Amino acid sequence: MGLWTLLKSGLILDIYFFKNNRAQLVSMFAWPYILLTLMLGMGFLFGSAETFKSNVGVEADPVVFFVASTLIAMASLSVMWEVGGTVLYHRWIGTLPYMLIAPYRTSVTLVMSYIPRYLLWSFMQLAEFVPVLIWREGLVGGLSDTLVMGLAIVVGMLPLLGFAAIFGSFLLTIKEETNVLSWLNPIILILSGAFYPAYLFPIWARFLSILLPTTYTFELARLSSLLGAPKLAEMTFLIAVLLGMSFLYNALSFTLMGKAERRALKSGAV
Amino acid sequence: MKEEVVAAENLRKSYETYLRRGLFNREKKVVEALKGVSFRIYRGEVFGLLGPNGAGKTTTVKILSTLLLPDSGKATVLGYDVVKEAVEVRRRIGVSLTVEKGFFWKLTGRENLMYFGMLYGMDGAELKQRVQKMLELVGLEELGSSDKLYEEYSLGMKARLSIARALLTDPELLILDEPTLGLDPPSARLLRELLIKVAHQEGKTVLITTHNMFEVEIVCDRLAIINEGIIVAMDTVDGLKDLVSEEITLEMLVVLPARVSLKQLREEISEVVSSRVEVDPTEEGTRIRVVMRPLEKEQATQEMLRRLHSMGCSVRRIEVKEPTLEDVFIELTGGK
Repeated sequence: MGLWTLLKSGLILDIYFFKNNRAQLVSMFAWPYILLTLMLGMGFLFGSAETFKSNVGVEADPVVFFVASTLIAMASLSVMWEVGGTVLYHRWIGTLPYMLIAPYRTSVTLVMSYIPRYLLWSFMQLAEFVPVLIWREGLVGGLSDTLVMGLAIVVGMLPLLGFAAIFGSFLLTIKEETNVLSWLNPIILILSGAFYPAYLFPIWARFLSILLPTTYTFELARLSSLLGAPKLAEMTFLIAVLLGMSFLYNALSFTLMGKAERRALKSGAV
Repeated sequence: MKEEVVAAENLRKSYETYLRRGLFNREKKVVEALKGVSFRIYRGEVFGLLGPNGAGKTTTVKILSTLLLPDSGKATVLGYDVVKEAVEVRRRIGVSLTVEKGFFWKLTGRENLMYFGMLYGMDGAELKQRVQKMLELVGLEELGSSDKLYEEYSLGMKARLSIARALLTDPELLILDEPTLGLDPPSARLLRELLIKVAHQEGKTVLITTHNMFEVEIVCDRLAIINEGIIVAMDTVDGLKDLVSEEITLEMLVVLPARVSLKQLREEISEVVSSRVEVDPTEEGTRIRVVMRPLEKEQATQEMLRRLHSMGCSVRRIEVKEPTLEDVFIELTGGK
């Protein structure tokens, strides 16, 4: 018995879901392009690519810029929904008690059984965008963009797991099944600079932005879209920040989840 | 000496609930679910927790399953404290809390079991074989439903799958909360037979909660009746019946040989039991009606039969009229 079987359990759960639910598989492939088209379409309503660059203040190909944003936005949403919201999901379908009696700490069960799903979904979506990136940036540029975005997805996930588990622990303790995440997620995305760079925000919003791991994940992904080839020093700095945040948020979530579990078990919220 | 599998000692648990008073106001209310519950369950026995709604059955079951912390008191499963050593307890129990949900709707029964098996640390060929065995054991394989989506399952199939999951890790203790609630008679019967089998043939210990008196009589070796958070009685089914009944009635229909008079018969029977004896001739034969104390029942009945036999009487019918478990339940729970 070990964490490997816990990871595997998450993987086979997704494989079974896809096998039995083809519509979900199709929508997973279609969704990134729908989102990208929507964002670009809205952008072009207000002017050309040049107008976009001058309005937003980024020197990037808008298509590549939004591919990066879409990927990170979807990956971030996924972590927040799936780890943070998993408690609600399991409570709704009645599987929560059976998850909790797995012989691991609750935070470990929730996070570890989710990681395979995250990697599977994110890399499938990244693979979907490879042709677009090559079309816009050429073979070498497109592939290097893909690599940086892949790296952002993996490194960006680490602090987000802890960050999302903190929300998961909060949801575990409340009996009312209010969907906190549905209003929280868009705010996090906006504050992280998913659609507009954080330096355009007012000061208070920039302060909140600094605390969010997604901010650095977006920056990391955007490096490729801005520069064509990533700058090593900037990337290293962002990765260091993300790793630091990973340690901080995961340590915090580990403590908070233990407390939340105890509180939930005391109040009968399970 | 019997091995103790569950030991609950003076368990207490209260919940805070809120009653809405208008749009913004609410009133806090504390409900005492358990007020000092103690009991023991021994290896290989099926132990029933019988009680009305809100009596504290599910609270007790959740505490033993490590899903709820008691306010005070102590409970151990196979020697492990359910609070301090919850992970060790979890490795040794199989739990079914509700039969109508608790699985992934878009997965088949087999896939659900594979997933939960891995979640509980099983893997590879061992897991596959165990899943197959469980599906066969609960009859889903026979019904051809193992590879059907869970969303297509009937309630009976869901209950079977729930038991299969509880048994999946080959636990030493099965904890089942109302396992046959709402099931059709064939499914309920199958589950009852299964419980008896796993307890008496495989040596597993089973704790079930139920409202169903019939089920308790058939399945449980011992039971506790719980009411308003207190265990009001605990014994075997017969023991509990004896507890509430001061007397039971034994009726026999016998055919007397010509040499035995009704007076002789009455005198003979009266020597055996301390209370009243009625002897009446009927068209079918002679009806003997004896009212006796529950404790006398077995010995007195055997002695009466021996004496009737030695007098040359043939016994055509024996009927014991004693309280039902329902009578016991109503008496002990104040008719709730």
